Amino acid sequence: MLSRTAEGLFWMSRYVERMDNTARLLDAGRRLDALPRQDGAGSSEWTSIVIASGCSESFPDGPDSATSTTVREHLVRDETNPSSIVSCILAARHNAKAVRPSLTSEVWEAINQTQSDLKQHLNNEFDRKNLNAFLDWVQGRASLIVGAILGTMLRDDRYGFVQIGKWFERADATARLLDVKYHVLLPKVSDVGGGFDYLQWLQILRAANSATAFRHVYGRSPDAEGVVDLLVLNAHSPRSLRTALDQLDIEMNALTKGNAGLQQALLGQIKSQNQVLAQLSLEDIFARGLHEWLTDFIRETNNLAGMTAEAFGFGAPPVAEAS
Amino acid sequence: MYNEMFRGSGLRDEYAVIDAWLKKHGPTALLDRQAEAEELFRRIGITFAVYTEGTDPDRLIPFDMVPRVFNEKEWSIVESGSIQRAKALNCFIADVYGDRNIVREGIIPEAMILNNPAYLSQMNGYRPPNDIWSHIIGVDIVRTEEDTFYVLEDNCRTPSGVSYVLQNREVMHRMFPDLFEGGRVRPVDGYGELLAAAMQDCAPPNCPGKPTLALLTPGQYNSAYYEHYFLADLMGIELVEGSDLFVEDDVVYMRTTNGPERVDVLYRRIDDDFMDPEVFFEGSTLGVPGIIRAMKAGNITMVNAPGTGIADDKSVYTYVPDMIRFYLNEEPIIENVPTYCCERPDELTYVLENLPELVVKEVHGSGGYGMLVGPTATQEEIEEFRAKLIANPTNYIAQPTLALSTSPILTPDGMSPRHVDLRPFVISGKRTALIPSGLTRVALQEGSLVVNSSQGGGVKDTWVLSDRTSHA
Repeated sequence: MLSRTAEGLFWMSRYVERMDNTARLLDAGRRLDALPRQDGAGSSEWTSIVIASGCSESFPDGPDSATSTTVREHLVRDETNPSSIVSCILAARHNAKAVRPSLTSEVWEAINQTQSDLKQHLNNEFDRKNLNAFLDWVQGRASLIVGAILGTMLRDDRYGFVQIGKWFERADATARLLDVKYHVLLPKVSDVGGGFDYLQWLQILRAANSATAFRHVYGRSPDAEGVVDLLVLNAHSPRSLRTALDQLDIEMNALTKGNAGLQQALLGQIKSQNQVLAQLSLEDIFARGLHEWLTDFIRETNNLAGMTAEAFGFGAPPVAEAS
Repeated sequence: MYNEMFRGSGLRDEYAVIDAWLKKHGPTALLDRQAEAEELFRRIGITFAVYTEGTDPDRLIPFDMVPRVFNEKEWSIVESGSIQRAKALNCFIADVYGDRNIVREGIIPEAMILNNPAYLSQMNGYRPPNDIWSHIIGVDIVRTEEDTFYVLEDNCRTPSGVSYVLQNREVMHRMFPDLFEGGRVRPVDGYGELLAAAMQDCAPPNCPGKPTLALLTPGQYNSAYYEHYFLADLMGIELVEGSDLFVEDDVVYMRTTNGPERVDVLYRRIDDDFMDPEVFFEGSTLGVPGIIRAMKAGNITMVNAPGTGIADDKSVYTYVPDMIRFYLNEEPIIENVPTYCCERPDELTYVLENLPELVVKEVHGSGGYGMLVGPTATQEEIEEFRAKLIANPTNYIAQPTLALSTSPILTPDGMSPRHVDLRPFVISGKRTALIPSGLTRVALQEGSLVVNSSQGGGVKDTWVLSDRTSHA
């Protein structure tokens, strides 16, 4: 396969995953914002959303100035922000078009139609109601595209590059989402473990589409330990870091088959990071500090993505902003 | 004016199926389904970018749903005439860059070659496999009577449009399967096989085994990008950009996830000037430095070879019937449109005296730009061209306005005749052949003779009916 094709498939897939994640983040922001305020509660929700989206640097006037309106603008429409939903859709389609012969018509049509329909949505003013409808639509389109990929693409290297794009992006997004909680201010220190704390964790779960899964797995109300276990260590959660690394391990195994050099340099790295995660306990994470641990994880995962790009002959991806 | 749907005052038998279909649905109801057809095209991704500011860059080329039909007899004229032409044109290009016998015999003046911007002296002495320079030639054919065809121009560089031929058929098949019952319409499915086989036939002398084919595109912002990936997909070959290729020791490689892979035959959809910054336009980033060296070393075949533009220039066009006689010792099966070369003083005088009846074209122009259509032009436009002709006569040719045949299209007011032309695509490898169809372009403006898609022309599905009926 052409290196450029691998690159196009990889980024197409990352942008599809990112448009979904950005939509979920905005949804989480909306829910956090709607929580009843108590004395001293700040408006740090939107700031945390900006940080989690990796857009601190591109955000006009810095993340501390974030309000619902400015975040909405920057994360939905702003084409200068590579993580805005509009940018993600345009970039996914741009990459898809560049690798069109490697896609099935179902995948292409799903992506192409998304861009065509986007224009109509952008004619709307995004008030609260319209924004929800739009975010639902974005998540629906992402599901449709992912479904078309699963249902129609040959399980060859092309599929492999689509998958590693998705899992690198998801690992990054889940780690950033968990870190939101670190940046959201609680009204008082004594509120840790209290009702407000619980509500905030619940919104994080919802943004990861995992609130129901949480009850199924743990049978209790969301708390810090449970949420981190589900989204970091749980090997059955489709959004967990563990699952992302497992899947990267599997896909990379197939992609490097028959190439001893690549297996040693790249596959070895992925396997060792996956092993570390498999043996990790909640205590280890909290002992290091959740925020610190997530920051390390994000950096290491980005390094792996860069090594992957280099190994297959396409340029390193743009360096993601550390949170 | 000849309407292809009728013979005398009656409907032609060949159109009986279409006529019945039109009556069954009614033009209004069919027109309503136009949106459905356009949606299919858009979903497939067929768009045609036009370089005009402020327009939708992914505009659809208008599609008219009423097919155009040829019977076997008519098609045999088109087919044999186009093949004859393609053979003669390839002989001519080989001669230009070889011995120039046609010049020595006094048939074509050497100045016409040497002064032509499409002539590439760098190609002198090169001999491509099978002596085929232009593997894909689009021959633009018009018709004035049931059995009277003319060649309007030849396209020997990188003719485009074949994807529409195949996709127009595909859309008609999806929307109106009933029309194709009985199997009388000859299928167009063989194009990919035909082209891939011709490319394999022309593997370079040093090709190590089964040749690896690829298609070189300028990228997704090119107006014909859709066609590039469509054809690459159809043949199951890589669609590459210049940056995917590099030359080492005069061998061309593409960068793949498994390291460098050799490329043997390259169907390139990039203009000559941009192919190799070592030889042609230095600033080109679209092409591949060193690819001409690799070609001359016998390590890669370019489809089409550089320098083929020498054969499709409008001034060279006037000599094609002579080429057919000279190289093939045959009489032309399809005639040229009578053409006045304005560089000849007596012909210029005639042209200047008859501007309102003539079509005037730039010798090196294409795409329907920069031409004068006398009968529909205003007095100012005619005077403007008169001044241009006097100032630079060698830059122009003129032709009588032909009474081009028409084919009916759907309009909000019912069926209405519009002028059409036809571009069959002739493929040359070890043999020369074409699929039984071509690109029918239709002028959508009533009375207009300009069919170019860049000038508001549309396209139609083009049928060749088989004489054999599978269901009596």
